[in-house]
Amino acid sequence: MIKTYRASAGIMLAPAVTLIGIFILLPMLLTIWLSFQDWSTQTPFSNASFIGFDNFREIFGPTSVGRDFKRALLNTAIYTALSVILILPLSVALGLMVYQRDVAGGTALRTVLFSTYMVPMIAVTLVWSKLYSPSEGPLNQMLGLAGIGPQPWLSSPRSALISIVVLNVWQQIGYFTVLAVAGLTQIPGSLYEAATLDGANRREQFRFITLPLLRRTLLFSAVIAIINAVQVFEPVALITQGGPVGSTNVLTYHIRRVGIERAQGGLGSAMAVMLMLALVVVVCALFAFANRKDDE
Amino acid sequence: MSAPGRSGSSRLARKRLAGHRALLATLMLLVAVASAFPLLWMVLSSLKTPAETMQVPPVWIPRTPSLEAYENVSGVINVGRSMWNSLVIASITTAGILVTSMMAGYAFAKHNFPARSLLFSVLIATMFLPPIVTLIPLYRLVGSIGLNASLAGIVVPNLANAFGIFLMRQFIAGVPDDLIDAARMDGASELLILFKIVAPSVAPAIAALALFAFVYHWNSYLWPLTVLQGNAQDYPIVISLSRLLSYNRGALNTGLVMAGATLAVLPPLVLFVFLQRFFVDSIVGSAVKG
Repeated sequence: MIKTYRASAGIMLAPAVTLIGIFILLPMLLTIWLSFQDWSTQTPFSNASFIGFDNFREIFGPTSVGRDFKRALLNTAIYTALSVILILPLSVALGLMVYQRDVAGGTALRTVLFSTYMVPMIAVTLVWSKLYSPSEGPLNQMLGLAGIGPQPWLSSPRSALISIVVLNVWQQIGYFTVLAVAGLTQIPGSLYEAATLDGANRREQFRFITLPLLRRTLLFSAVIAIINAVQVFEPVALITQGGPVGSTNVLTYHIRRVGIERAQGGLGSAMAVMLMLALVVVVCALFAFANRKDDE
Repeated sequence: MSAPGRSGSSRLARKRLAGHRALLATLMLLVAVASAFPLLWMVLSSLKTPAETMQVPPVWIPRTPSLEAYENVSGVINVGRSMWNSLVIASITTAGILVTSMMAGYAFAKHNFPARSLLFSVLIATMFLPPIVTLIPLYRLVGSIGLNASLAGIVVPNLANAFGIFLMRQFIAGVPDDLIDAARMDGASELLILFKIVAPSVAPAIAALALFAFVYHWNSYLWPLTVLQGNAQDYPIVISLSRLLSYNRGALNTGLVMAGATLAVLPPLVLFVFLQRFFVDSIVGSAVKG
């Protein structure tokens, strides 16, 4: 009985473990291995030849390969930081709007916000490239009504990256709002009642009850926001191709260009390993920061 | 309550609450408009004539709505074929994810085996791995088993994922052990128990996972683009749509591009509108229970 039960657990796990093993874990290990190899993506893995840390030296070196990669790493860091800075406060503010019961329509608002999350990024990209259009786009027209001059949006190296952040935040904010609402429902109402009796106003309640008790939710949201942010691809691939002057060249786009289009598999893998390492460091730092706050 | 001071202050409080409500309602309306605006503008633009899309300052509401752009977009990309490809990709991938996630989720929730939590942690860690990290070797790997430039190449690597396993384990853990033990005593096989007894009691979670997987793989762009290369026959709608880019330069073909975007957005959005409860519940379930 125990034996067949054990065997059945194996059968249950086999399909998922095999598929994830072959198509995610194995490629991940191959990425690490390839980062130490000289290898063209157009050749079999057996053609790879070991070159130690040369790929890493090159992507951090003074040549154009190094300059492009370092710029892409910096762009991705800026992009990710801007995304998190916009998403976290917005998700809490919108979450409170959806969750409150003073005014009807919270659930309807949630529906509207979340619906954008269903839209393919390609469609988002095409629509926003028109909204941002300097001459016939509605955004500059609205700014004009408010007395603000036309903005270059995607066509200036100063504003292109933040313009892409904005369209991504617009698309994803509904998801993070739902996460925030999930966190808000976990806070016992009795805490607010007690605080009201003690004479705490709304602002104090938010500062001393809502925010501290949302910390775990915000930590989870921050991790997801970071993982999502490094994946930005469609707007860059479709509209800016990394430009103007490299200002929107982010890692997912750059790694694919180097590793697939230019078939420099070893170099691309070294960049992918650096991205993986950077993510591990940032996420660990985030958890350490949150835990330290927990101890206080 | 009859004291004049009290009633005065409560009137003040009521006034303040009314002010608070008015402000909140205004804010909510603004947020809803800002959120819905790009999609509304997309649909409105798809109904404009080329002359209207060219106008500066822009025309907001088309004076004579026309479906001309929808006819034109079919002349540029193969809309029917692309939508069909997307449907095939998203449906088969979703079916695979459902089966593999239910089986593994059941094993993790209701079976004891060596290194269970270690294996679970390793699988869950892959949830946080951005696809670009594995893209280069995966591209080569799929090519070396002869699946590149085909629909199978898009589908096969995605037939199992950690999110599905995680979600299923969370919900199956809540199914009473007694129910499962009774079936075991009757000699039912584990697969039979999973599909006849466990599955029906976690039906809402299965629906949520199905919708999530379908929408995700309908929208997915990076992997199909990489694996298909130039095989235009098998393009899903999002890749065909990206081919409209050359029509996107000037304003002349805005209507055409927006018509294409509207068509691509429709299936996931319609699914969402009818089944949003499942989407939201599963996100909440994956965040809170984790």
